[in-house]
Amino acid sequence: MASVLADKYCSKSLRGILMDGECGPGHEYNYQPLNNSFTVPPGIDPHHFVSPFMSDSSDCKIKFNHGTTTLAFKFQHGVIVAVDSRATAGSYIASQTVKKVIEINPYLLGTMAGGAADCAYWERQLSFECRIYELRNKERISVAAASKLLANMVSYYKGYGLSMGTMICGWDKKGPGIYYVDTDGNRFTNNIFSVGSGSTYAYGVIDSTYKWSMSIEEARELGKRAIYHATYRDSYSGGVVNLYHVQEDGWTKVSQTDVKSLHYQYEEEKNKEIINNEEL
Amino acid sequence: MANPFEYNGSAVVGMIGSGCVAIAADRRLGIQGQTIATTFDKIYPMNESLYIGFYGLATDALTVSSRLKYQLNLYQLRENRQIKPKAFMHMTSNLLYSKRFGYYFVEPVIAGLDPVTKDPYIATMDLIGCPMETKDFVVVGTCSEQLYGMCESLWKPDLEPEDLFETISQALMNAVDRDALSGWGAIVHVIEKDKVTTRTLKARMD
Amino acid sequence: MTEKYSFSLTTFSPSGKLVQIEYALQAVASGAPSVGIKAKNGIVIAVEKKQKSPLYENHSINKVEPINSKIGMVYSGMGPDFRLLVRKARKIAVKYEYTYHESIPVSQLVQKVAAVMQEYTQSGGVRPFGVSLLIAGFDEDKPYLYQCDPSGAYFAWKATAMGKNYINGKTFLEKRYNDDLEIDDAVHTAILTLKESFDGQMTEENIEIGVASSDGFSLLEPAVVKDYLAAIQ
Repeated sequence: MASVLADKYCSKSLRGILMDGECGPGHEYNYQPLNNSFTVPPGIDPHHFVSPFMSDSSDCKIKFNHGTTTLAFKFQHGVIVAVDSRATAGSYIASQTVKKVIEINPYLLGTMAGGAADCAYWERQLSFECRIYELRNKERISVAAASKLLANMVSYYKGYGLSMGTMICGWDKKGPGIYYVDTDGNRFTNNIFSVGSGSTYAYGVIDSTYKWSMSIEEARELGKRAIYHATYRDSYSGGVVNLYHVQEDGWTKVSQTDVKSLHYQYEEEKNKEIINNEEL
Repeated sequence: MANPFEYNGSAVVGMIGSGCVAIAADRRLGIQGQTIATTFDKIYPMNESLYIGFYGLATDALTVSSRLKYQLNLYQLRENRQIKPKAFMHMTSNLLYSKRFGYYFVEPVIAGLDPVTKDPYIATMDLIGCPMETKDFVVVGTCSEQLYGMCESLWKPDLEPEDLFETISQALMNAVDRDALSGWGAIVHVIEKDKVTTRTLKARMD
Repeated sequence: MTEKYSFSLTTFSPSGKLVQIEYALQAVASGAPSVGIKAKNGIVIAVEKKQKSPLYENHSINKVEPINSKIGMVYSGMGPDFRLLVRKARKIAVKYEYTYHESIPVSQLVQKVAAVMQEYTQSGGVRPFGVSLLIAGFDEDKPYLYQCDPSGAYFAWKATAMGKNYINGKTFLEKRYNDDLEIDDAVHTAILTLKESFDGQMTEENIEIGVASSDGFSLLEPAVVKDYLAAIQ
């Protein structure tokens, strides 16, 4: 009787992750979507249905917000997360004010690259699961566990055309944490990540001066500068730099800066440097 | 290379004012999404009061502009006079049509004053030389829809040189700010009967 | 094998002259007289069209030919050579118009026609043209009158005469010409110049007159020529 009721409840729910102990111990972290969670095209394999719209040659592409620059890196004082704010549809700039950092909870941030809707939906779903975890276990979820929840969720739908490349950033018992998760099923951790069409430019800037022992000011400046340089070189990145800093007591939003003002600020600094060098 | 017109990215506008014309273009040279240069000229002076700007494949624009300059130099030496903008437009049209079956991927904008009457003139054409002359403005570029929208709402008849500069600048800058492939600075030439004023604009660099 | 080589017939004489060209000028100087006069508001070109036999059908011969709507041409010398040059000149004018969508300036046409004539003094297997041309036209609100010789040399004139008795014609024009002539006066003077060397009765049938004005180039109708002739007698 109880299981019938649970089935009914589950089928109406949009949330994907397992519900109760009824699914059996040891399965808590397996993603088990419940039937009819998403409507799928009737009578044909969803893989098949979606594939013509996913190919690059298709006239009708579902992809949106494909161009992006997001970055995150760990250092001695936590995690710096910086992103641009541009959304493009083809070469058209659809928005310059997109929020690409998703605030999962006060200790966790997710970044957005790829499909905007996919990122927004699944990271919201993740925030839900993280809250459930917290209530059940009376302690915060680790960055590793949270990112694995997300990885399991999206990999269940592998091949359905989901598109996201995200960094789950936070602070847990082990200290600062960053995990890269994407819809191909990848999940890695490292000190530095950058994702999106502008990522190579951002990597170039970060790698040139990154040190674990940076001061907070240096690290924040580095994040901002890396995004700025990516917006300069990459057509599909731009707008403002949203900068977050995760520390032991959770994240704070540090700044939101238009890259236009950054460009002319950096230009001025460069000119001053040239003048100083000439004087020497 | 999917579409040669969107390979490098560009935006060019021509506008008529009262006894003057303006031509403006963005300054980006890109390879698809990657910005290579932000000081790239897309407008070429042909004589003191005649300019041509190109939208499309940058390497073809370079070739076409130098072939036109070559033809024009010969013309001006032969005839010992400055060419009329309309005649130059037909020269350009003929050059493009001569490549009808293997075209240059460019769409030009021509702006100038008649050397004798000082009448303002603007025109554009497609990649195989079909001309379009207008009395208000012409636009080409990866953001031509945006440019049309801006020009349709900002342009008025009989703009004086300073107002024409403001109008064409606002039209171009706001259009390229909604295009990923053009922008990164702009250049504006205002052509009057006794002088040409060239200005570069401070723009968003993303 | 021998056809592979084709040498120019126009070659220098030991004294440095191109006698072929001098012979061509001879042909011109013995051809029917023609005259061109620039007026304030246009150009008049006129030519004698007297036939050797009264049995000729007069209407079959045209010596003043329009090149385009603004430019006309006349000659002294050999008719068939002239027709070839007219064909070339028309083609040059039309080609220019199709390239630039404006009509060819007279100076440009003259330059190109002269280049053709020059080519025939240096090419293999050809002879120089046996004609001198008078090219008259109106562009940019100004009248222009040019003469083109078999050598490829060309000159701009206020007034000139060519063909038989051209020296007398020129002397006459030097006396009669002034800068204030109207087209009517120029037609009058042109007829008088032709009359200088005209044998027999001058009629509207045996002279031809073309006028270039701001309205374009046109031939005078025989009836109009008749009126001019009547005014002289």
